[in-house]
Parts: sequence; structure tokens; C-alpha cells
Amino acid sequence: MAAESKLAPIRKGLLEFLVLKIVGAKSVYVPDILRDLAGTEFTTQEGTLYPLLSKLRREDLVQYEWKESDAGPPRKYYRLTDAGRAQLGELNEYWNLINRTIANFGH
Amino acid sequence: MQRISTTVRLNRSVLQFDDAANARLEQYLAESASLLEGDPDPQEILGDLEQAVADQCTRRMRAGQSVVTLAELEPALDEIGSVQAPGNGSASLHPPREAAPRTLQQVSEGAVISGVCLGLARYFQLDVTLLRVISFLLLLGTGGAMVLVYLGLMLLMPYAPLEPGNTPIRWLPAKSRAFMEFLRVKLGVDRPGKVAST
Repeated sequence: MAAESKLAPIRKGLLEFLVLKIVGAKSVYVPDILRDLAGTEFTTQEGTLYPLLSKLRREDLVQYEWKESDAGPPRKYYRLTDAGRAQLGELNEYWNLINRTIANFGH
Repeated sequence: MQRISTTVRLNRSVLQFDDAANARLEQYLAESASLLEGDPDPQEILGDLEQAVADQCTRRMRAGQSVVTLAELEPALDEIGSVQAPGNGSASLHPPREAAPRTLQQVSEGAVISGVCLGLARYFQLDVTLLRVISFLLLLGTGGAMVLVYLGLMLLMPYAPLEPGNTPIRWLPAKSRAFMEFLRVKLGVDRPGKVAST
């Protein structure tokens, strides 16, 4: 499909926004995020998600804490920082704006 | 076939791997490390990936199985996938290389005097304003000797080909370019036929 080459970068750019949304809704660990994304257009792998989360942590948008699990070693649970929440708000607003703009053209 | 297992510590888990699986694991981790070259915090990501491998393999092992084989590792690595740089931002792991080879050239579009600072900024990937401020301070500090340096660079640095689409150029850089190109032909600095035309 010819359009696919144009859609891929859109998805790639939006993944970060989506991950912020998921982390913003509740404290999650990586398998939770992957499960939420699985079956959507944004199906993602750990190899993609960990570098992204590492970047978001460096940018001080997310933080994590260790939580014991019933089975296996402790797990990293991610949540948004205040800065992350502020940025998610901005992204949401901008996303809505873009959507309205796009919807208004082409009539 | 004799199977010798290796004990591998993967972040917070410790697992036994047979030889083939161990070799494949080492290959995957080395590959990931090289893909993360340039990332400010590769250790964190590698640690997370190791944990993911351990969790995925553990999940795939049968009850009572103690050694991880390729039968568990391969599907685990498939699910984890290879390391991908985050989509955007300054932390891009592999900044896109420009197709053209990097050459030290004066850039007329957007230049203030002749494009020396702009060319240097592009070549060294520095902020052009910073370079202009430094040049200005050197001009004051050296009592004008900087003028000679600038003129020297104007003569030595070739001009980059003009951008397509007639991007406007300020009056002074346009005049400088025309004059220097005239001067170069007179001085024979430019070999014939090597005038920037590409």
C-alpha cells in the first residue's frame, strides 16, 4: 500500500503522546502498556518502548517506582510527573486543535 | 547432544541458558548495545531489555524446565523486537545523516555579511548566533585583526551552491558572493570547470 510509507511516521510520532496518555491514566508497568496498545494501530514491542520510556524519564515527564510482584522480581511502575501531566494537557489540546483544523478543510 | 548450560544474570533474574540460547542472547544484547550507541542512558534500557528477556523466557518455560533453549528464546526475542530509537526529539539515537558529504562552504541564504559564520555553523553543527557573537567579540578584542581573518575565510571557503527555488539573499551577501567569485577567477583560486554548479 502506497499510503503506508506516509502513515508509518505519523504513528511513530504519535506513539509518545499515546504512551503519555496511558501512563497518565494509571500507574502501569510495561506489559500493561503493551497490552493496551496491542491490537490497535500502535501495537508496540519492548524494544521500542523501553528506549522511549528512558527518553521520557530523562525529559522528566515520567518517573517510575519499584513494586514487588507476586511472581518474579520487582517491577518498574511508571507514572507521570507534574511536568508530564502538563505536557500531556498541551498535547491533548493541540491534538484536538489539529483534528478540528483537518475536519474543517476539504468541504 | 550434550547440553552444557550457563548461568546468566539478567538484571534482577538469574536463569540457565543452553549453549545455543546463550550465544543467541549474547548476540541480541550486543546488537542492542550497538543500536543504543549515542543514547545518553544505554545501561538503563539494556537492563530493562534483559529483564524483559528473562520474564518472557520464564513465561514460556514448561513446568519443571530449568534451562532456557532457543525454543523459548527465539519467540521471546521476536516479541520484544529489536531496539528502536524514539520517534522524535533531540534524543534521536541515530541522527539522520545528510546525504551530501559535509563540506566547509559559505552559505549565502540567510547570511549577514558573506556566509562564513553560517557555513562554519553548519559544518560544526553549532548555533550560528553563537558563532556571530564570538566573531563580534573577537573583532572587538583583536582590534580589528578579525576583519583579516574573515576576509581570508571569505576567500578560502567556497560558496555552497544556491538553494533551489530562489531563496532570497540579502544585499551584502549577494554582493560579497559576486565579488569573491569574480576575484577567485582573477586570482585563479577556482580551477576552471569546478565552479559550484551542482
